Amino acid sequence: MAHGHDDGHAKGGGHGHEASSGGDPLRKQTFLEKLYLPEIAKGLVHTLKHVFKKSFTVDYDGTEKSNEKKNHIPRAGYRGEHYLKKDDAGHVKCVACFMCAAACPSECIHIEGAATPADWKDRERYPKRFEIDMLRCIYCGMCEEACPVDAIALSPTYNVVSNTREEKVYNRDRLLADGVHYGLSLSRHHYRPDGVPGATPASNAHH
Amino acid sequence: MNTIAFLWLPDEIAVKLIPVAIVFGGLLGIVPFLVFLERKVCAFIQDRDGPSRVGLFGPDSPFEMLGINTGKRRWFGGFLQSLPDAVKLITKEAFVPEGADRLLFALGPFFALMPPLLAFIVMPVGPDFELFGQNIKLQVADLNVGILWVLGVASLSAYGLAFGGWASNNKFALLGGVRAMAQMVSYEIGMGIVLLSMIMMHQSVSLREMVNHQAASDCTCHWGIWHQPLAFILFTICAFAENNRLPFDLAECEAELVGGYHTEYNSMHFGMYFQGEYIAILSMGAMIAALFLGGWHYPGYNWLIAGTALDSNWRIFAALLGLASFGFKAFSFVIFSMWVRWSLPRFRWDQLMRIGWKGIVPLALANLLLTAYLNLPAQPKIEKEATKPAPVAIR
Repeated sequence: MAHGHDDGHAKGGGHGHEASSGGDPLRKQTFLEKLYLPEIAKGLVHTLKHVFKKSFTVDYDGTEKSNEKKNHIPRAGYRGEHYLKKDDAGHVKCVACFMCAAACPSECIHIEGAATPADWKDRERYPKRFEIDMLRCIYCGMCEEACPVDAIALSPTYNVVSNTREEKVYNRDRLLADGVHYGLSLSRHHYRPDGVPGATPASNAHH
Repeated sequence: MNTIAFLWLPDEIAVKLIPVAIVFGGLLGIVPFLVFLERKVCAFIQDRDGPSRVGLFGPDSPFEMLGINTGKRRWFGGFLQSLPDAVKLITKEAFVPEGADRLLFALGPFFALMPPLLAFIVMPVGPDFELFGQNIKLQVADLNVGILWVLGVASLSAYGLAFGGWASNNKFALLGGVRAMAQMVSYEIGMGIVLLSMIMMHQSVSLREMVNHQAASDCTCHWGIWHQPLAFILFTICAFAENNRLPFDLAECEAELVGGYHTEYNSMHFGMYFQGEYIAILSMGAMIAALFLGGWHYPGYNWLIAGTALDSNWRIFAALLGLASFGFKAFSFVIFSMWVRWSLPRFRWDQLMRIGWKGIVPLALANLLLTAYLNLPAQPKIEKEATKPAPVAIR
């Protein structure tokens, strides 16, 4: 309340304080500021205004019904559960190169590769088994970054609840079906509309 | 005659149980809801909903199954959230860290919870009224040294924090305990001086007398806050510091000291610290109400009493209104302290000490001198007569 050294710490480096709205961080406190009370009153008025603002909380109780009602759509680039993409021929696009499994920090991707059937002209290998253990996954998106053919991606699915551990290990067909279910396209641009430059759509490159 | 016949107790004792039940039942019962309120105030200030699931209101309520609409989650959703929290605290293992002083460790929470409860003994929570032919005082004990009792007992609560800090065998807890001691001692001085000026103004140290003094007229113009606005502000600041509430919560300062004095406490040991904190806020609110806001007095009380002088039912009604008025005032302080808590950052230690010693103590002293000057007894004539030479004795 008496004379203050409160501005002392700002003298060393005013650099970090430029963003603050209080103007010059190096100026001395005025008498009223040293009294604290008027400034505290301002702060109290500010927080009181927030009481009457709309809550940011989405009233979501974990059921599909409440989700539909609230129509909660995550922001672009949200990293939810994975899905696998298909190429134009309707085959799984993955070439079983193990890049995603190598990039995965939590080692939750298990792939078993096999030679492609004779009528798949565009590549030699495909995943006979492709499992993601969603309980180990940390949803970092590294697999998506690592994939050279843009075959795996993270969907906006945030409702990741299940009743047993076994349910949370997703196999290849489940992952493929999820991609179809969410209506997500083959192209990288469609699920990353936030401007991340995508590679040339892999489906074109292989034709 | 035994007219009340409660537990075969004599009337004098049975009558005493009424304020005891009101004060202690009310205090202990209200703490869970204060915790709920604190979380809601916090959430609303931060644009959130807060606890919203466990309770009688909102879409998760059992009434919803019967088709009764109980409103939104946002307002009263998690009304009963504190009950499962309390069950959790009670059923947890009461862990005592290795190397702790077991006796002091157990005494710490006790000293944190009991003093604020004891401070409530002298609070005049309502006016007198007649019931069953007995004059009932809504005050547990009418000590004629009311304020001294509150001060003395409030000082004891510093031991709760100091014991907790010392006994935990943890450096963060010790630092918290040391801080709590230094802070409470510093602000008790300012608070004591402020109280002296209030004692001077009301001409009494009994809280009951003080409130009666303030209840003299309906216009609230005898309330302490109009006569001592500076004392009111200083006392409120001291009350925050005494309760270790933000912006003065350096004793538990989670950014530096993990949890301060209660770092090592869990289960109901921690629960008692928690309860003690809220009851301490309430008792400070009650002190502010009794000293500055007219206690149980409300505009219209004197008119109500004068207009219905002999009707005992109206007297009871007026007394219950007074009880509600006292509760409202104390509760308003609680809400205010929550509002302040979620608005302000914490003071640094040097700022805290500077505010206490260079701000509050000098201002309180100046206020004391001013009050003393304004309350000088205006009796110069008596002094002159006393200085006259004594008449010569007749031989």
